[in-house]
Amino acid sequence: MAKILEMPKLSPTMEEGVLSTWHKKEGDDIGVDDLLAEVETDKATMEFRAFDKGTLLKILVAPGSQVKLGQPVAIVGAPTDDLSAFASLSAATGSPAPPKGEPAPAAPAAEARPAAAPAPAPQRKPSVVSVLDRTSYAAEAPVGNGGVSDGGRVLASPYVRKVAREKGIDLHGVLGTGTGGRVVASDLESMPAQAARGATALARVPPAQAPVVPVPAGDEPEIRPLSPMRKTIARRLTESKATVPHFYLSIDADAAGLVKIREQINAELAAAAGGKDNGAAAPLKVSLNDLIIKACAVALVHVPECNASFTPEALVFHKRVDISVAVAIADGLVTPVLRHADQKSVVAIAIEVRELAARARARKLKPEEMQNGTFSISNLGMFGIDEFAAVINPPEGAILAVGQVRDVPVVADGAVVPGKRIALTLSCDHRVVDGAVGAAFLAELRRLIERPLRVLTG
Amino acid sequence: MTRTLRFREALREAMVEEMDRDDRVFLMGEEVGYYQGAYKVSEGMLDKFGPKRVVDTPIAEAGFAGIGVGAAMVGLRPIIEFMTWNFSAVAFDQILNNAAKLRQMSGGQFECPIVFRGPNASAAQVGSQHSHAMEHFYATIPGLKVVAPAFPADAKGLLKAAIRDDNPVLVMESETLYGVRGEVPDGENVVPMGKAQIARPGKDVTIVAYSRMTHVALDAAAALEKEGVSAEVIDLRSLRPLDEDTIVASVERTHRLVVVHEGWPYGGVGAEIADRVQRLAFDALDAPILRVTSLDVPMPYNKKLEQACMPQADRVVATVRRLLARGRA
Repeated sequence: MAKILEMPKLSPTMEEGVLSTWHKKEGDDIGVDDLLAEVETDKATMEFRAFDKGTLLKILVAPGSQVKLGQPVAIVGAPTDDLSAFASLSAATGSPAPPKGEPAPAAPAAEARPAAAPAPAPQRKPSVVSVLDRTSYAAEAPVGNGGVSDGGRVLASPYVRKVAREKGIDLHGVLGTGTGGRVVASDLESMPAQAARGATALARVPPAQAPVVPVPAGDEPEIRPLSPMRKTIARRLTESKATVPHFYLSIDADAAGLVKIREQINAELAAAAGGKDNGAAAPLKVSLNDLIIKACAVALVHVPECNASFTPEALVFHKRVDISVAVAIADGLVTPVLRHADQKSVVAIAIEVRELAARARARKLKPEEMQNGTFSISNLGMFGIDEFAAVINPPEGAILAVGQVRDVPVVADGAVVPGKRIALTLSCDHRVVDGAVGAAFLAELRRLIERPLRVLTG
Repeated sequence: MTRTLRFREALREAMVEEMDRDDRVFLMGEEVGYYQGAYKVSEGMLDKFGPKRVVDTPIAEAGFAGIGVGAAMVGLRPIIEFMTWNFSAVAFDQILNNAAKLRQMSGGQFECPIVFRGPNASAAQVGSQHSHAMEHFYATIPGLKVVAPAFPADAKGLLKAAIRDDNPVLVMESETLYGVRGEVPDGENVVPMGKAQIARPGKDVTIVAYSRMTHVALDAAAALEKEGVSAEVIDLRSLRPLDEDTIVASVERTHRLVVVHEGWPYGGVGAEIADRVQRLAFDALDAPILRVTSLDVPMPYNKKLEQACMPQADRVVATVRRLLARGRA
């Protein structure tokens, strides 16, 4: 008995994904746990593996298609199975992710209303009441294959069909505002009858997307559809700024000692590596950021009130120090989590951060490797930034923004001498971290940075 | 001129007036006489008409329903009161196989001018066996007429029409409506069966209801008005014959329909209306027809579960919102 494979939930927050590569082709035999495809989710590129064995009878979405959770992607069964029952699932479901650099057929809403994409299989999360109430499904889950398929059936209410007949409006290609893209009566009000025949005014140029200001030819903006990661960034950071009451504390620390101890450590590491002559591998180096991660971890142990999360019911003070490290990658950023940073040596941290960052850039981080941090660090020093404030990564209670080490004149013993300073800005969730607590943490962090041996000794 | 009467007083007036008017009319049922009616609908009637016309029966519904049918066959015009319609289940055979069939099976030699009446559907924590919406079972039977008034004036007017009709008529009352007050016109005012009324005019959506659910629908319409949604409420009054003209005319104006009734969602009056409207007004529909019914379980005794099970105004409002919803759900 052939059955439909649907897009599985490959990360806790996944709502859709881009099916980037098929690893099986039609006719291939599939074993349990075989790699079927790779899916780019909001978090990473995930493996989509088979739960059952069988033969891949039909692929329903082309590589590069954007696919909603639960949407059919393939049919699996025995080679002799009759697929006529699945005829309604055309081979081209899923919306092709438009090639980069080319304008999408329609601006942002193209994402929400792909012109040729059937609506996803209706996703009901039935409550007990909705299970018992057998009367209310229809409007939520419109019948038909959703939206408009080229040459296919127009999804329009009977009343709309009647009015369209009377007015001579061609509904073909029209995508309505009703559930599932059904054309409803009020959609027709915005369609002039004479212009509508043969045109697709509503679908292809919805009023909201029509350019308000004429743009000279050649100067059209480049339209980039939102990637799953970009959507996640937008959603999570908006949620953070809109719901978390941020306040910011800044402090300047003397970084001379930190710079010096880093040089000493790296000299030792180079010597050790040179002695063993381990060939082509780049010699391991500890970065200032690695030292600051370690310093933060130690400071969080000393000021545990800063290692906390707000929940509506209670404040949560974490016993573990798991630090999310912001890593810039192409088209966005991710925050892999360095677990138990307080218990790791600076060298161990350096190795692990380097490995996490490499996999982040390759989009190979697993979702769980980006979850459940207790505190974040974002460092833009390598880009020449002196100081900045970062947006909290909920549900964490604070994030530290680290600037570059600046060469500054400082007054020591009544004389102006060359010095090194680093700006540290803590963004705090005021619901859980108060000003005095944040200040105590920054003071402890500065103390550690200015006495870097304490960083190493914990 | 009108007077303010309670629902039970309006029913009593109908019976008293009809018994004054026609001495073939009599009332029979459990506790209708000496106890003055289980819900005091027949209060004072024993004193006025005596025990030959206000007859107390044993707890034997099949028996007194059958006696009523026999009395109707030979020329009397009985009003049979069920203490609740739930108890008519044991008299179902008399109603289904005798009252509803006699005219046809006798080739018109017998008529059956009988009224069965009593409270129907949910009350307040009377348990699953005493909370049935029985109208769905009866409205499906050809040979019967079924009415379900929501207001005292219609209760009186429809009961009078029922008593005067030469066919079996079932009057569905409601325990929780008996105390409801309303204006009742003086004088005759027989309300024709098979005629719905617009209880509240509106233009965005039609909500069809009857009996107690008309009040729930009106509450929902008032709440929807605050959201800028204009809901038309149609009070059916009669379930069989069904006033499809009034419903269809309303749907042709609003293009959307929600049916609200007690009782289960499988089949029933709401399903019947949905069928008729999609046939008679297919081209007028701008959205699927939705129903708000009791949930698909035996009625719970627990007060909160019972409330959750019954159709409530907020569920009607949510259903209307869903009908009017925009964008991908």
